[in-house]
Formats: sequence, structure tokens, C-alpha cells
Amino acid sequence: MITLVLDIITTAAILFIVSAGLLIVFGVMKIINFAHAAFITIGAYAGLGASRLGLSPVLAPALAFLAGGLIGVAAERVVVRRLYGRPLDAILATWGLSIVIGQLVTLAFGREVQFVPAPVSGTVMILGEDYSSYRLLMVLAAIVIAALFTGLLNGTRLGLSTRAVIMNETLAQGLGIDSTRVRLITFGIGCGLAATAGALITPLASVDPNMGLSWLIGAFMLVMISGGSLLTLGLSCIVLGGLQVLASTFISPILGGLTIAVLAAVALRLRPEGFARA
Amino acid sequence: MRDRGSALRSMASVPQPGMPNWLIRAGLPALVGAALVVAGPWILDTYMLNILVRALFVAIAALTVDVLWGFSGTLTFGQSAFFGIGAYALAIGFTQFGFGPWQALLSLAAAVGMAAAVAGFVGWLSFYPGSTPLYASVISLVLPIILVQILYSGGSFTGSSSGLVGFESFDLSLEGWFRLAGATVIGALVVASVALSSDAGRVLSAMRDNDERCTYLGIDTSLVRIGLTVITGVVAALAGFGYVGFSGVAAPENAGFVFGTQLVVMVALGGRGSLIGAVVGAVVIEVASAYLSSSLPFVWELIVGVAFVVVIVVLPGGLFGSLRDAATALRGRIGAAPVLALSPVTLATLERAAVAPDRNDVVVEADGVSKHFGSLSVLSGVSFTARQGELVSIVGPNGAGKTTLIRCLADGRERSEGTVRIAGHAIARLAPDRIVGLGLGRKFQAASVFETLSVADCLRIARVKSDPPSFVGASPLLALPAAARAVVESSGLAERLGEQARFLSHGLKQALELAMVLALEPRVLLLDEPTAGLTRTERQVFAGVLTELVARERLCVLIIEHDLDFVRQISSRIILLHRGRVALDGPVADVVDDPLIREIYTGNNRPQRGEVMS
Repeated sequence: MITLVLDIITTAAILFIVSAGLLIVFGVMKIINFAHAAFITIGAYAGLGASRLGLSPVLAPALAFLAGGLIGVAAERVVVRRLYGRPLDAILATWGLSIVIGQLVTLAFGREVQFVPAPVSGTVMILGEDYSSYRLLMVLAAIVIAALFTGLLNGTRLGLSTRAVIMNETLAQGLGIDSTRVRLITFGIGCGLAATAGALITPLASVDPNMGLSWLIGAFMLVMISGGSLLTLGLSCIVLGGLQVLASTFISPILGGLTIAVLAAVALRLRPEGFARA
Repeated sequence: MRDRGSALRSMASVPQPGMPNWLIRAGLPALVGAALVVAGPWILDTYMLNILVRALFVAIAALTVDVLWGFSGTLTFGQSAFFGIGAYALAIGFTQFGFGPWQALLSLAAAVGMAAAVAGFVGWLSFYPGSTPLYASVISLVLPIILVQILYSGGSFTGSSSGLVGFESFDLSLEGWFRLAGATVIGALVVASVALSSDAGRVLSAMRDNDERCTYLGIDTSLVRIGLTVITGVVAALAGFGYVGFSGVAAPENAGFVFGTQLVVMVALGGRGSLIGAVVGAVVIEVASAYLSSSLPFVWELIVGVAFVVVIVVLPGGLFGSLRDAATALRGRIGAAPVLALSPVTLATLERAAVAPDRNDVVVEADGVSKHFGSLSVLSGVSFTARQGELVSIVGPNGAGKTTLIRCLADGRERSEGTVRIAGHAIARLAPDRIVGLGLGRKFQAASVFETLSVADCLRIARVKSDPPSFVGASPLLALPAAARAVVESSGLAERLGEQARFLSHGLKQALELAMVLALEPRVLLLDEPTAGLTRTERQVFAGVLTELVARERLCVLIIEHDLDFVRQISSRIILLHRGRVALDGPVADVVDDPLIREIYTGNNRPQRGEVMS
């Protein structure tokens, strides 16, 4: 019972970490970054590199954020910037981008599955149950990401500009806000967060050039259903992640794997605008 | 029904007698293709033929993606799922029951039946009044993922992750398969190109350009899209059926999300909206992958990825779209006559039983109509009636709820409370296309037409509900009700029937939309600031058209208008809306001279007489 509850909490945290970057891009730019999966992969390989070089494990997510952020900024300038008026084409172009990144990663690191040791191993005792300490660490990471992001959005000048662009881009431009710059930074942060997520989840899974893909659909559905708000994203992760854990535990893991996609599709049919103002 | 005698204007030459236009356009390329298919096995080696057979079946699936995405505007990643359904129907059927004629028929029936059922369900889920294109794409993403999970969990029945192999299949030579696949592709191309360039096929492009306008022309776009999903789903399943019948292997990859995106890549590179482009894109990529993925495994996919990004960003029309543009530019450069319309169009007038000049039935009844957004009340308890032969102007300051009122009359799901009856029928919660069927026509505030369609086709789409269009040809005759035709002639649109609507001026677009709405032969006409942005002359012409319509056709016109002089000139009655309530309702003279009008328009906030009255 305790294990189940902890499973739900940690699954929700991991889903939140993986979806946060996608949400930021969707919320500000109203486009869906299908290269999100590729940036998760980039982060995972950054984490792999960091552990090979013997760097402190704390540095791995930071290194991943830097790598993902820089590549994201470059991608925004070269590709994404031209597609703001064409949201469906933006999905396709970012998907193409993910093919390109995936192949470059394959060429550079090979196709085989690799492993990163967890920086924190072993288990901790919680209410009489042993539980993986790294998974518990993910809850902390999710809270840190949410706090940093909320602070950035509400406590800085950039955050103010960003909120202005979210609410009314034309008006924001009229007031002298450089929305192009806001978009550039947003996309960079979104990709950086995706890469951070990649570095954080690799100790729980393996690293291979297509590893991001399995996370993409779940993250995408969670973002769609959250309607673009960080708070509802957190709630969606807890509700749908919880149902996923329950379905996997009590019915079958295969059904569990489908839970998020199916429930989110049905929920969106009933509430097409998501649950941001529910 | 059609009055051919009054067909005055002939745009260009009369169509060639005997041979329908579509036969000429589809026939020649089909013959070339057929020659290639017959000659192929004599020229190509076995390895190449082998690859080509698979590529041709994949090309059929790509063709369905092109029809959905390029023509009807639904970006789909899910056609792989239908391909997989066809593939597994054959593999499971032959594995379970062995190979034989009845087993083949059973598997085929299962492929078609399953695909149709799944497509019907997916279509119902994806398309509903108010659904977004993005949502349909989301569903199309989820579908292959679910299917693959089902295949994984099917044990030996579906072969799980390794798929099904080793079943006996059709005993056909490689040459036979090649010719069968080639003939199928050519057949699919001919059928698709004939159907899509027909008057009925034009509806798909109209929905892609402007779904809302289609709905307000009485077309149930959700139903059309669901039907299209079923047809393309079944065709993709048949392609999968052929693919596995030839290859003898059904694998989960045939149904997966990645294959679904590959189909989109093929169509994008070949050229969305170009049927040949989709087939060429699929065949080239499949063949090149087969040759290059062994010698340059990752570099080849990298090249495809880069090409895909470049095409999406820089050349959205893909290879064939760019070729088409280049050809057009070249023709323009060398000064050749521009091709105006594919087929010349002749205008004709529809005869209509004369409306008794004294008809004055009540055709609009609003009773207690309210609209709330949360705690904000935009309309509260609006009640009024309007009769045939009346021109009622709805005036009021910005935010008074005028456009909301129009919306509540035209769309049954808009209002929060109250009842609306159009031509005696309560609209309940009906969708706009059903209310159009009751006799209502709505012209939007910003001109809403089909940008990439010709003027003639825009008008034809408006007639789709009353004159079922042909699925094989494009009619050279455009029969319009007298009122619509009068607008087309007086505005000068008649000379530009073959031109795309996006090249029209603002005023002409407004006239075109009005003509489209009048082509519906409505009894009630809703106009939202129709004269905004028009020149003075255009405005006078418009006033003449409206008063004529009301007098002769006994239309009931509700018009939102800001210009009080214009209102005074045309109206038979004025309703003043203020803060979501009917403040005044009466003859022109009474309302325009009422002090309340001046108070409201000059922003003087004394107690509202309307509120006291109600």
C-alpha cells in the first residue's frame, strides 16, 4: 500500500519533469515541440558523458540543460522561428528535427543501449517499506523545477514579458516587448528542461538514441490536457500518472502504458480546451 | 429546374463534345503509367521489382494521407494503423485457417470491416462540431500506439513483437505482383483524381480552407470528414493487405506510429495536395531507403530528416508543388495566356416559385434569449420577432451583445437560456448546418470565403445542399437563384468566375460571401456589419440589393450596423441593444429620434429607459 502510494507520487514527479519543457513551449509559443523527445535524448547522452568523465552527478542535469538549451536556441533561430503562423507545420518540422538529432546522436554515440549508474543508490525506509531513493529524489527535482519556473515567471522581468506574450502577443509587441526574443529564450528553456529531464531519468532507464520517443506521447497528452498551465500539469500528472500506476499494478502493464494516452484523448473530447480553467 | 435559356455569359470555349474533361486529364498519365507497369518486369531486376512492389503498396497508404492532409486539411499520423489492420487481417486469417479462396475472402472482409469500424469510431471521436484540427491529429497519434500495444499483447495470435511469418499466401509470380500493385496504384490515382476534381471533391478543399463557412452553408462537415476517414481507412487497410500478401510478413512496425510519420514525410516531400507527388514521394523514399540503408544506414535517414525539415519550412508544397509553381511562373515569364479556369463556367438562373408579395409570416422568434460567460452576462432576456419582408437593423454600442445575439440565432449551442424559432421551428441545440437547413443564412463580419477555390466553386459549394454535386465531373453550368445571380452580376464577379477567391478585393469578397449565402435561398438573412470597409459606392449598391431582396423575395433581414444614416435609409424597423437587453424596438422614425439613442451613443449614463420598460 505504501509502495503503491510512493509509486504514484514518484511516477507523477517523473512525468512532470519530462513534460515541463514541452508545456513551457506550448504555453508561450502555442506550438508543439515534437523534437522534445530528441532533446530528452540529448540530455541523457549529456548525463552519460558527465558520468564517463567522472564529473559530479549534480553537474549532469546542469550540463544537460546547457547542451539542450544551446541546441534548442539554434533550432529556434534556424527552423522554428519561420513556423509561428503554421502550428501543424511546426509539429512536422520539429518532428523532422527530432529525426535529424536522433541520427546525429546515433552517428556520434552508436546505436547500442548504454547505462548510467545512479548517483544515489540503494533504498530508504519509509513507513516500514524499502523504497528506491533515486525515485524519491525525483519528487524533489520536480518540486525544484516547478519552484524555479514559477519564480522565473513571476519574479523576473523576463517572466513579466513572457506572461504578457502569453496573454496578448500583439499588445505586448505594441508595448515594446521583443516577443521574438521571448520566444527564443522560451524555446531554449523548454529544450533545456527536456534535456535536464533526460539526464535525470537515465539512471532509472537505459540510454539509446530513441529513448526519448517513448516519453513523447505521454508528455504531449499531459500538456494538451493541462491546457498550458503549470498547476494543471502537476494535477494531470498526479491523476493520470496515478491511474497509470493503478492500471499497471492491478490490470496489466500493457494497459497501464496506454492509460495516459487513452484517458487524455477522451478527456480532450469532452473538454477540448484542456483543464487550465477548470 | 435549370433555366438554360438564360445562360448568358460563356467564359471561354465550350467543352469538347463527346469526351468528358476529366477523362482527358486522367487518361493520358494513366496510359503512361500502365505502359510502365507492363514493361517494368522486362527492364528491372528481381531485387528492384521486389522493392517496388512493397513501395507501391506503401504508396497507396501515402495517397490516403495526402487525401486527408493535403486535400481536407487533417494532418494524420494514424494511417499506419489502418495499413496494419489490413496487414494483420491477412496474416491472422491465413495463419489460423490456412490459405484458400474462402480464407482469402474472409480475411479481406475482416480487413475492410475492421478498418471501416475503427475508422468510423476514430472519425466520430475526432470530428464533432467545434473540433480542432489539432485534436484530430492527437487522436491519429494515439491510434497506432494503442494498436501496437494490442498486437504486442496478442501472444501467438498476433505473433507479439516478432509479428507473423510463415503462412502460405497467394501464389502469384513476382511479375504478377508488380503488375497487380502497379495497376492498383494507377487505379487509385485515377479514382482519387477524378473524385477530388469533381464538384463533390471540391467540398474537401472548401472544408480545408474554411470549415466554419462550410458549416454555415449547411454542410455537415463532421459527417463528411468521418466518411472520408472511413474511405481512406479502408483503402489503407487494403494496401496493408496487399503488402503482407506479397511479403508474407506482418510486423508491429507496419502498424506503428513511426511508420505513420514516415507516410507523412513521404507526402510532404512529394508534395501535399498533389496525388502524383504522394506516390512519387513514397516510391522514391522506399526504393532509396532499400538501397541506401545498408550502405549509408544513418546518413540516409539524416538526409531524409534534413530534407523533410527544409521542405516543411521553405517549400510547403513539396517537390510537385514547387514544380507547379515554377511552371506557372515560367508561363507568366514567357507571356503565355494564364489558365483561368480548368473548365469554363456558364451562369444560369434557377427558377423559383414566386413568393407571394404579401407574405409576412413570423420567421424569427427569440424569447428570453440569454448568454452568460461565467458570471458575466452578455445577453439577458432578449425577446423579439421578425417577419418576412422586414429589414430589421440591430444597433447598439460596442459590447451591447449584437454579434452574440446573431450567434445565438445561428447556432443552437450558443445561448445559455431562452428559445429561438426560425421559420416556425425551435432550434433547440442544433448545430449551425441544421439551422441553415431551416432557412437561415449568415454572413460573417469579416468576409469568409474559400480562399483557394475559384469564385465559381465558392458559389457551387453553397449549392451543395440543394443540388447534390457530381462525383465524377465538374459541371460547366453554375445555376444560382436569381438573387445570388443578381449580386454576382452587379458586383462584377461574373467576369472573374475562374479566379481564386484570395485574389479578390475586400469589397468583392464581401459580395461573394453575400452571393454564397443568398445561393442558399434563405428565408432569414443575418448580416454582421456587412458594409464595414466598403466604399461609398459599394455601400449604395449594397443598400439597393438589400431593399430589393426584402421587397421582391420577401426575405427577413437582420443586420448589425453602426452607421445610423445607412440604417435609416434601409431599415423597416430598428432594435436597439444596450447592455445585453433590448432597449428599444420600433419603426425607424421612432427609434432614431429617441433621446435614449443619443444618450447611449454619447455615453451619458442616466437611468436606462429600456431597463424600466422590461
